[in-house]
Amino acid sequence: MSNLLKFVENEVQLAALVFLAVVYAARLIWIFRFRSRKERTFAAGSGAVGAGYSLMNVAMPWAMESTRKRPGFYAQFVVFHLGVVAAIAATFIIPYAPEIFRIRAVTLAFQSLLAAAFFAGLLRLVRRLTNPVLRLVSSADDYLSLTLMILFFGAGVLAVPNDYRRAEWPLILFFGLTAFFLVYVPFSKICHYLYYPFSRYYLGRSMGHRGAFPQGRKSRPPVAGPVKENRA
Amino acid sequence: MKRAKSVPSGIVSASLDTRSQAQAKETGLPSVKEGRLRTYEPGDNVQRFLDLLGRRITRSLAVSMTACVHCGLCAESCHYFLARPDDPTMTPVWKADQIRKIFKKHIDWTGRVAPWWVNAASLRDDEDLNRLKNIVFGSCSACRRCTYNCPMGVDTGLLVRFTRGLLTELGIVPEGVFNVSRDQWETGNQMAVTEQDYLETLEWMRDEVRTELGTASVDIPVDKPDCEVLYTINPREIKFDPRSIAHAAKVFHAAGESWTLPKWGWDQTNFGLFSGDDKLGAYIARNVYEAAERLRAKRIVISECGHGYRSTRWEGYNWADYDQKLPTESVVVTLKRYLKEGRIAVDPARNPEAVTFHDSCNIARSGDLVEEPREVLRRVCPDFREMFPNRSENFCCTGGGGLLSMAEYRPLRLEVARIKADQLRATGAKLVCTMCHNCVDGLNDVIKHYKLPMRVVQVLELVSKALVVPGRDETKKTAR
Amino acid sequence: MPHIEVDGKRIEVNEEGFLAHPEEWNEETAGLLAKAEEGLEELTPEHWAVVKFIREYYLEKNLAPMVRKMCQATGFPLMKIYDLFPSGPAKGACKVAGLPKPDGCV
Repeated sequence: MSNLLKFVENEVQLAALVFLAVVYAARLIWIFRFRSRKERTFAAGSGAVGAGYSLMNVAMPWAMESTRKRPGFYAQFVVFHLGVVAAIAATFIIPYAPEIFRIRAVTLAFQSLLAAAFFAGLLRLVRRLTNPVLRLVSSADDYLSLTLMILFFGAGVLAVPNDYRRAEWPLILFFGLTAFFLVYVPFSKICHYLYYPFSRYYLGRSMGHRGAFPQGRKSRPPVAGPVKENRA
Repeated sequence: MKRAKSVPSGIVSASLDTRSQAQAKETGLPSVKEGRLRTYEPGDNVQRFLDLLGRRITRSLAVSMTACVHCGLCAESCHYFLARPDDPTMTPVWKADQIRKIFKKHIDWTGRVAPWWVNAASLRDDEDLNRLKNIVFGSCSACRRCTYNCPMGVDTGLLVRFTRGLLTELGIVPEGVFNVSRDQWETGNQMAVTEQDYLETLEWMRDEVRTELGTASVDIPVDKPDCEVLYTINPREIKFDPRSIAHAAKVFHAAGESWTLPKWGWDQTNFGLFSGDDKLGAYIARNVYEAAERLRAKRIVISECGHGYRSTRWEGYNWADYDQKLPTESVVVTLKRYLKEGRIAVDPARNPEAVTFHDSCNIARSGDLVEEPREVLRRVCPDFREMFPNRSENFCCTGGGGLLSMAEYRPLRLEVARIKADQLRATGAKLVCTMCHNCVDGLNDVIKHYKLPMRVVQVLELVSKALVVPGRDETKKTAR
Repeated sequence: MPHIEVDGKRIEVNEEGFLAHPEEWNEETAGLLAKAEEGLEELTPEHWAVVKFIREYYLEKNLAPMVRKMCQATGFPLMKIYDLFPSGPAKGACKVAGLPKPDGCV
């Protein structure tokens, strides 16, 4: 293994991780500096239960009409984000536990997941480029984050076999992108996974206190079906 | 917004109308002189707006600003967009972005350093503020359906209210919003009903109920101390349709309830919810809470009103920094209790027509009452049908968020009400029942505009119609 | 400014169907408004009793009268006002009487 690859796999990652941790800590302090309002009413439900229900939203596609009506989109979401988990895991396995990727089955599983995530990413990029709503609201950050993630998954497929003797460039590309992400993420929309617990918690706690979360019996279409179904 | 010019947009371009404000200033109205009710002053309003934004933003709102990933799932949850699918400016994500981009430019990190990277932008002048007014007052009923469909939990409905509050503080509001706020500040109720009118209408309804029931023992007490129930109403019930007061009096009489209305602090509606003005919200809500304290009532009961319920039962205590001491409930919950305890008897055969129920946004999404009205309705109507979607997924009546008081936005509102009309039509019901006075008017507008063969009723009306009153009716009353 | 067309005549109204220029009201306008907005083919003497009272009250006090006053003046019970004007006293009767739209969420 070349010195460059060792450096990129290890020292660069650690430096970038430290940077990420510092910036995240600063971001958390920034969030907590905003004031929170005190609740003075009798509860009609439980804030804690509501918060729990709300935080579980990502795993409950039946809970919202938007995900119920778009199961394909939800499936893309799952594949894409499982790919993220696999890719991040790979950035630790390759330098610190490489024996795991000598097991053929594991390597194939990771590659399949990353390849699926790659295609899910492509579908999402096509959607972002062709859907008029998304074209109007998307920023440069939205496009770049998605494009780089697709590249990241692609590099991951090639990097995971960890065959540095044959070719080092997939690994250098993969770890190079990782380091870039670690530095870029806190300033981009990719940071949304840091915000998710907060936004869902606050919404869930408030709605849970009011007895609106968890949502009760789901509205079901009448037996004869609605006269007109609205699809935008 | 540069790109918005090239897409078709239904956003109404109403200019800022300050005639009412000028009149209020001229006549020296106390609420204006004392600065409680704000008026528009030329000057650096953009800077004032940014200062307010920085000072007022709360943690949950800040997170709603940052957490949006532009996934677009909210688009199809909004009746504005569903009715105008070729108009991306009708989507919650675009509307929220109009305030979000300002937050990103002035408060968030990346937007301050490289605004173009994250679509951060600033306001240039009062014209921009006026355009923002048209968006947050005129193209959204703050129904929170988008909030419920966002995977990140971004509360666009609340962001819209927050933005409205900033504009209200600068007097940059639709004229209807100023007028109603003025009336509520000056007279303590939303429709400038005088105390004399209030008391005389209550007496009139008392006389009507006495005639109908054939007994002088029924009363509509005012300012009676130590009662079980303090009943609070919507000024619309005094000014335009007092029948609901009569219905309530009948039911309380049949249930043998000890109840009273207060002389002051009887308005449970709250325009502060719609204008985003927590000061007004606090003032009106506090009037109610203090009336209950003054009269030593045991419970506050709120007549059927969606935004009134949300304001008085939930938001008002927080706006007014007033710890809740008394149970505060909707009259529908009271009815449910009476039925359960057998305090009133009903004959459902008196409501034979097919009824469907319209869940109000402020009750089903921003509040806790979903099954309760259904339980009551099933006791008083034999033919009850659900509309679809329903409960917390119901569509707004399209008249919410104070839109009924803003005439300039009516054409767009009625255009997008097509979604609601389709939903109503599909039920095949003759009656649509709702727990909200605002929804009554909103739905009436939809019914009239789309020529639906339906009528709007409220729960109290149906219960009152089905009420079996001892003495008047032969049927024996169930033992209490 | 939007308008309605009834029997070949144009009346200027605001977005809610209320008369744009209240001072231009006359009995013919009332009939046209009633037809277009309330679906009333013609106005009976009972309709006119209500409309005339509202009009006079408005001209004197520059306010829409409360429904209770309408009932007192005409002697009609509340139910009757709703029978005569399906949209109710504010949106129905006051509109036909040529008043501007009353304030508030109504």
